[in-house]
Amino acid sequence: MMLTRLANVAVLVVMPFVLTGVINRVKSLWSGRKGPPVLQLVHDVRRLFRKSSVYSTTTTPLFRVAPYVFLATAVGSALIAPLLGSTPLASFQLDFVWFAYVWGLGRVAIMLAALDTGSSFEGMGAAREAVFSSLLEPALFLVTGALSLVGGRRTLHEALAPHLHAGAPALVWGAAVVAMLIVLQVEAARMPVDDPTTHLELTMVHEVMILDHSGPDLACIHLGSAIKLFVGASIVATLLNPWAGSGGAACAAANLALTLAAGVVIGTIESLVARLKLRSVPQYIVIALAAGSVALLATVWRAGGPE
Amino acid sequence: MTGSLLLSVPVLLVGAALSLGLRSNGARSAAAIASQAIAAALVLARVAPLLRGGEALEIVWPWPTPIDSMAFRVDALGAFFLAWSLPMTLLGTIYAVGYLRPYFDRGRNGGSHFALLNMVALSFVLIYSVQNALVFLLGWEIAALAAWLLVIWDYRNQKIRFAGFNYLISTHVGLFVLVAAFMLLHSKTDSMDFAVFGKFLSSQDPTRGTLFLLLGASFALKSAFFPFHTWLPRAHSAAPAHISALMSGVIHKAGLFAFLRFTLLMGRPDEWMGWSVLGFGALSAFFGVLSTSAERDLKRLLGYSSTENVGIAAMGFGVGYLGWAWGVPALTVCGFGGGLLHVLNHALFKCLLFYAAGAIYRAAHTVDLERLGGLARRLPRTSILFLIGSLAISALPPLNGFVSEFLIYAGLLAGRAPSSQGSVVTIAAAAALAFVGAVSALSMTRAFGLTFLGVPREPGLHVGEDAPGSMLWPMVIHAALVVAIGVAPDLGIAAIGAALRLFPIESSASTLPALLAPLAWASRALAGALLVAGVIGWRRGRAARRSVTWGCGTTATSSRMQYTGSSFSEQFTRFFASFLPSLRRERLPEGPFPQQPGHLSTHHVDAVERRMFEVLGHGENFIAQAFDRIPEQPRFAFAAGLVALVIIGAMVVGGVGR
Repeated sequence: MMLTRLANVAVLVVMPFVLTGVINRVKSLWSGRKGPPVLQLVHDVRRLFRKSSVYSTTTTPLFRVAPYVFLATAVGSALIAPLLGSTPLASFQLDFVWFAYVWGLGRVAIMLAALDTGSSFEGMGAAREAVFSSLLEPALFLVTGALSLVGGRRTLHEALAPHLHAGAPALVWGAAVVAMLIVLQVEAARMPVDDPTTHLELTMVHEVMILDHSGPDLACIHLGSAIKLFVGASIVATLLNPWAGSGGAACAAANLALTLAAGVVIGTIESLVARLKLRSVPQYIVIALAAGSVALLATVWRAGGPE
Repeated sequence: MTGSLLLSVPVLLVGAALSLGLRSNGARSAAAIASQAIAAALVLARVAPLLRGGEALEIVWPWPTPIDSMAFRVDALGAFFLAWSLPMTLLGTIYAVGYLRPYFDRGRNGGSHFALLNMVALSFVLIYSVQNALVFLLGWEIAALAAWLLVIWDYRNQKIRFAGFNYLISTHVGLFVLVAAFMLLHSKTDSMDFAVFGKFLSSQDPTRGTLFLLLGASFALKSAFFPFHTWLPRAHSAAPAHISALMSGVIHKAGLFAFLRFTLLMGRPDEWMGWSVLGFGALSAFFGVLSTSAERDLKRLLGYSSTENVGIAAMGFGVGYLGWAWGVPALTVCGFGGGLLHVLNHALFKCLLFYAAGAIYRAAHTVDLERLGGLARRLPRTSILFLIGSLAISALPPLNGFVSEFLIYAGLLAGRAPSSQGSVVTIAAAAALAFVGAVSALSMTRAFGLTFLGVPREPGLHVGEDAPGSMLWPMVIHAALVVAIGVAPDLGIAAIGAALRLFPIESSASTLPALLAPLAWASRALAGALLVAGVIGWRRGRAARRSVTWGCGTTATSSRMQYTGSSFSEQFTRFFASFLPSLRRERLPEGPFPQQPGHLSTHHVDAVERRMFEVLGHGENFIAQAFDRIPEQPRFAFAAGLVALVIIGAMVVGGVGR
C-alpha cells in the first residue's frame, strides 16, 4: 500500500515533464528536426522560477493568486486519477464529480486572471475557453456515468478499470476512449482544437489567456497544464489497459507505456492534422458528446439484449 | 406550545404599525428591525428543538365562521424553512437602511416600506405553520401583495410600475390555479384542513393526477420555473436590491415549500410524477442558465439564475420522487436531501449576489455589464464578496453550491432505476446538470470579470464609495455561511436532517453522512491548498515590477477595446441561437473606404415572452377575424356559451370519480 502511494507520487512528479517532452520530441521527429531534450520543461520551469514577475498596472491581486490556484487544482485532480491504472492516492464515492468541478475551478481562475488584464485578446481566449468547456463537461459525465453504470462502481478509478472484466460491449469502451481523447485534446490545448505553439493571437485559446503572465506565475501555469495533460492521458491509458485495476507491477508498467503511447498519438495527430477553424471546434466537441451518448446507450443495449 | 411562535405575529404587526406611525426614517427602520429581531428570536427558540428532531408543534384554534377550526402545525419541514426565512428577512431589512439612504436624504418616507417588510416576515409565519387552506391562501396573498408593493418602490418610473404589474398578474394567475386546486379538494373532502386533504390525496383517487398538476403549476409559477418565469427578470431588475434578494432567495421558496408540503401529504407518488418533476426541473435549469449567458443587465442575469437554481432543486426533488416511487430509500435521501440543501444554499448565495449588485448600483447607478468595468479597485470589499457568491453559484468546490449539487449527482448517477432505460435517462440528466454547471460558471465568470476586472469601459461613468456597514454586514454573514457549508457539509446536513426524516428513508438515514464525510475532508484539503496557494501568490507578487498590459504590439488601445459582455458570450449564443432570440440593430460599414461610421448593438430578449407575444398577436388577429364573421346579436350568446362550456368542463373534472 505504502509502496503504491510512493510510486504514485514519484510518477506524478516525473511523468508530466516526460510526457510533454515526448510529445514535443514526436512533433520534432515528424517535422524532420532533432528537437529539444525530453526534459526540456524541467529547465524551462527552473528558469522561470528564478525570474521575477511583471504585472500589468490594471491587474488586481486576483491576477497574482490565479496561477497558484490553477496549479493547486491540477495537483488536486491528479490525486484522484488512476495514474498507475489502479488505486490512486485518494478516492471516494463519486470522486469523478469532484474531479470535473476541481478542473472547472482552475479554469475559472485562469479565465478571471485573463479578464483582469483588460486586454481584448485575453478576454477573447477566456470566452472561447468558457464555451468549449461548457460543451465538454456533459461529455465527461456521459462517459463516466456510462462506465459506472456498466461496472456498478462509483469512483473514478473503479469506473475506468473493470469494464474489461465485466464483459461490456466493445462499443461502450471504444466510444469512451474517443470521448476521453477529445476531452484531453480540449483540456490540454492540443491540436486540432488549439495550437499550443501558435503565434497568431486570433487563433489562440489557452495560450492567449496567459500572455501577461511571467516568471514563477508562468511556470505554475506550465506545470499545471503538464500535470493536467498527464492526468488526462493516464485516464485514457487506464481505459485501454487490459490489467487495469489489478494493482500489480504489470498493470503499472502497462499504464505508463500506454500513457507514453497516448503522448506519441497526440504528437502524431498534432503533426499531421491542421487546427480546426474556430467555428468548427464546437462541432468537434459535439463528437465527444455523441460518443458519450453512444457509450451510454450501448450499456442499455447490453442490458436489454440477449445475454 | 405554538402560542409563543404565533406571538411573533402581533410583534410583527406592532412593528409594522410603529414604522408607519413614527416620525423619522431612523425610528421607523429601528422599529422594523427590532420587531423582526424579536420575532426571529421567538421563532428560532421554538423551532430549534424541531431541527434537532423534536416533536412537531401543534395547536388548534376554534374559528366559528367561516370554518370550524384553524389548525397550526409546525413540523420539521416548516421549521427548516422558518429557521432561515425570518433571519434573512431581518438581514434584508438591515441592508435596506443603507441602500435606501439616498432616497431618505431626499425626504422620502420609508415607513410603508419597512412595514411591508414586516408583513413579508409575518406571511412566512403563516405559510410555514398553518394547516388550513383558507389561512394558507391568506398568507400566500399577503406575501404576494407585499412583494408587489415592495417592488414598485420607485413607482414614479413607468417601467417599474409595468414590471410590478406584470408580477401582480403572474402571481395571481398562479393563485387562481391554486384556488382551483383547493376548491376541487374542498368539493371532495368538505374540509379546508390539510390533514383531511392528505387523506384524500394519498388515496388512489383518479383526480390525484389532476390535483398534482394543478398544484405543481401553481407552485411552479410562484417559484418562477420555466416557462412561467417571464415576470421574474423584469421584477428583479426593477425592485430595490434587497427586495430582489428577498424575493428570489426567500419569498419564492414558499412555492417549493408548498410543493414539498403537498408531496408529504400525497404520500407515495406515481412514477410519472417523478419523471415530470425531474424533466421540468432539468428544462428550467437548462433554459434559465442559457438566458443568464447572454444577459447584459446584472440583476436580470441574477433573476434568470434563480430560474436555473429552482430547476436544480427540482431535479433533486424529482430524484427523490423517483426513489420514493421505486422504493429505493437511498435515492430519496440523495434527491430530497440535495434539493432541500440547494434551496438553503440558493437563498444564501443569491441574496449575497443581489446585495452586491445593489452595492454596485448604489456606487455606479447602473448594473449594465457593457458600461461597468474595473470596479474591483473602487469597491474592493464588494468585489471579494461577489466573487465568493459567484463561485458558489457556479457550484465550484469548496463552497456550498457544490455540496448540494454533489448530492443531486449522487442520486442521478446511482444507477438504481429498476430498468436500465431509467438509468440512462438519469445519467443523461446528470450530463444536463453538468452542462448547466459549466454554463453557469461561464456566465458568472463573465458577470464578475466584466464588472470588477479590467479597466472601466465607460471612462465618464462616475463611481462612488463602497457599501456602508449596514449593507456590508448582511453580505459578510451570507458569505461566511456560504463558505461554512462548503467546508463543513455536516452543518448543511444538520440543517436539513430533521426535515429529511419526514420522507421515507428509515433504512438509509446514514447515507448522507457516509457520502459527505470524505467530501468534507476533500473540501477542507482543497480550501487549505487554495489558501496556501493564494498566500504564496499574493506574497510573491507584492515585490514584482509593474507595467502596462501587453497589447501585442499595439500601443494605442482604449478601454473601449476590452472584451464586452456581448463579445464574451457571442460564440456561445450563436451556438444556441434558437433558444436565445436576439434583437440586432446595425449599420455596418460599406465598401472598402466606408464614409459613414457603422454601429451595431445586440440585445437578448426572453425567448418565452417573445414567442408568447407572437402567438398572442396571431391569436388576437384570429379571434378578431372569427368574431367579425359572427353577426352582432348572437355574439353575446356565443360568449355566454363559451362561459357555460368552461363551467361544464370544470364540473366534469370535479365530478370525475365522485
